[in-house]
Amino acid sequence: MNARPTPAEILRSNGLPHRRMEDWKYTDVRSVADADSFQVGAHASATISFSNAIEAAGLEGETIPNWASSAIASLAPSSAMDAAARSYVDFSEVFRVPAGKRIDVPLRIEYSGRGHGAAAIFVEANASAEIEVVYSATVKGEINTSLLVFIGEDAHASLTVAAPYARELVLVNTISVAQDRNSQFQAQVVNGGARLSRMEMNVILNGEGAEADLSGVSVLGDEAHADITTRITHASPHTTSRQLFKKVAGGKSRAIYQGKISVKEGAIGSDSRQTAKALLLSDRAEADLKPELEILADDVKCAHGAAVGDLDQESLFYLRSRGIAEDEARSLLIHAFLQEVVDGIDDEKMRASALEFIDKGMAWAMIEAS
Amino acid sequence: MLDIQNLHVAVDGKEILKGLSLSIRAGEVHAIMGPNGSGKSTLSYTLAGRAGYDITEGSIRYKGEDLAALPTEERAARGIFLALQYPVEIPGVTTMTFLKTALNAQRRARGESEFDAVSVLRLVREKAAALKVPEEMLKRALNVGFSGGEKKRLEVLQMALFEPSLAILDETDSGLDIDALKTVAEGVNALRGPERAMLVITHYQRLLNYIVPDRVHVLAKGKIVREGGKELAHELEAKGYEAIVKDAA
Repeated sequence: MNARPTPAEILRSNGLPHRRMEDWKYTDVRSVADADSFQVGAHASATISFSNAIEAAGLEGETIPNWASSAIASLAPSSAMDAAARSYVDFSEVFRVPAGKRIDVPLRIEYSGRGHGAAAIFVEANASAEIEVVYSATVKGEINTSLLVFIGEDAHASLTVAAPYARELVLVNTISVAQDRNSQFQAQVVNGGARLSRMEMNVILNGEGAEADLSGVSVLGDEAHADITTRITHASPHTTSRQLFKKVAGGKSRAIYQGKISVKEGAIGSDSRQTAKALLLSDRAEADLKPELEILADDVKCAHGAAVGDLDQESLFYLRSRGIAEDEARSLLIHAFLQEVVDGIDDEKMRASALEFIDKGMAWAMIEAS
Repeated sequence: MLDIQNLHVAVDGKEILKGLSLSIRAGEVHAIMGPNGSGKSTLSYTLAGRAGYDITEGSIRYKGEDLAALPTEERAARGIFLALQYPVEIPGVTTMTFLKTALNAQRRARGESEFDAVSVLRLVREKAAALKVPEEMLKRALNVGFSGGEKKRLEVLQMALFEPSLAILDETDSGLDIDALKTVAEGVNALRGPERAMLVITHYQRLLNYIVPDRVHVLAKGKIVREGGKELAHELEAKGYEAIVKDAA
């Protein structure tokens, strides 16, 4: 029996992404890792725990059914990293939320170990699921994960990703989403970066009327690096995408946003909005925002904006002239900058945890680069 | 209360104030009038401690202390309040949150106990009603989408709330129609008292019909060129700045 290639073999034959590749210009994985870095002993695997509610939805049997394998294969890996992580998907990491079923307890995927990991979740027609991806701040080493989410007709999936600053972590996370007719997808990312962090979200709006809404807050300090790269493909008519990403970068950190929107031929009436803003808190912090549009259909609406700025001195003076000490005034203005993203979070519990995350991250971000 | 001697202030290396002297006692209201570019706003920003306004010569003493040594927020805590000509819009911070944060920051700096949310709300509501500031405004982001009149009323509301010892009103009349001007002036007059000094900076005499000053100073090219009682404002209105400034020279 031919053993399938290991993730290390995949990385060796494809090479690790590096800065001379257009899409990886700001995130040179090759400079911090090699093909074997992601391995731990004989069994390289990130720890994925589906801690609740998922039993009811897990696939029966020990092999991935054909319909699932072909769906997974239909979404081509976006990089060697994605391909390597995905080679690890087996039956235990494929989940199904059956048609019409609404899961009100989030599916939780927690990465606390190093290595490669992957999971695929099928949210069938009219079903609804919340997915939480959590990275522990204490993780060291290298993690490479892929998550595939298939959202059926009229189904709804929401995804939250929380990754606090992990100074000694190299993290590559690729999320691929395929959406059927009139489905809805919402994603919210809060992250604090890592030694190197790449969060990719590739969403294909396959069915007419599908809607995707992505937002994120990055609060960076120290030497954190956080790259959020999105690729949204409007493949059918009347599809909608919304993106709002805000970044605060202090210390010697580096915030990156690359957002590509492709509107395919025939995807008429598509509506796409993309906003990315970064606030630099120190002279040595850096932000690179790169929006990209490719429109091959008529009658579409695409709006995008990107801006990098400093804290507004006028506002800072105003607050201080009212007795608010400089640090508190800065913190108030940073919160105000991020508030727009927080306001967009419908779920109260998630909103509270996003705010808590921001407060913690801010302590890092506000330390001046030494 | 405030004693300014031979004040020279430079902004971006350019000298704007060139030897200004001015003295205000508690309980007095002084007006500073002057043409555009005479240094009126530079004086107000310097008193509030804005970065970039460098004192190159002279001194400012406030309640006997050297003001230049104090950071902006400490000046506020010690009772200096500047009502800005153009209050800043801050999206993402509600007006109520701002008022509470500022009030408690000042109290904390003075070693006083902080107010809880309910007490602040009660206090703000009471002051807001007197100034015809609708409660809905307090829930909106600070100054965002406020009309000129609303912004100025909010400045006076802050003044009522913080109860400063020295209030500086920088062109508080600009952009106001006559009704808004009256409301704002009434608010300011209600705060006149024996313990409080005010410095009203304005281009036009109009405001001074409503807030009647004890002394009027004419500022031109960075210096006080004339001083007098409230009748000086009327003389300026009648003759224009040019004549007065020329006479003084």
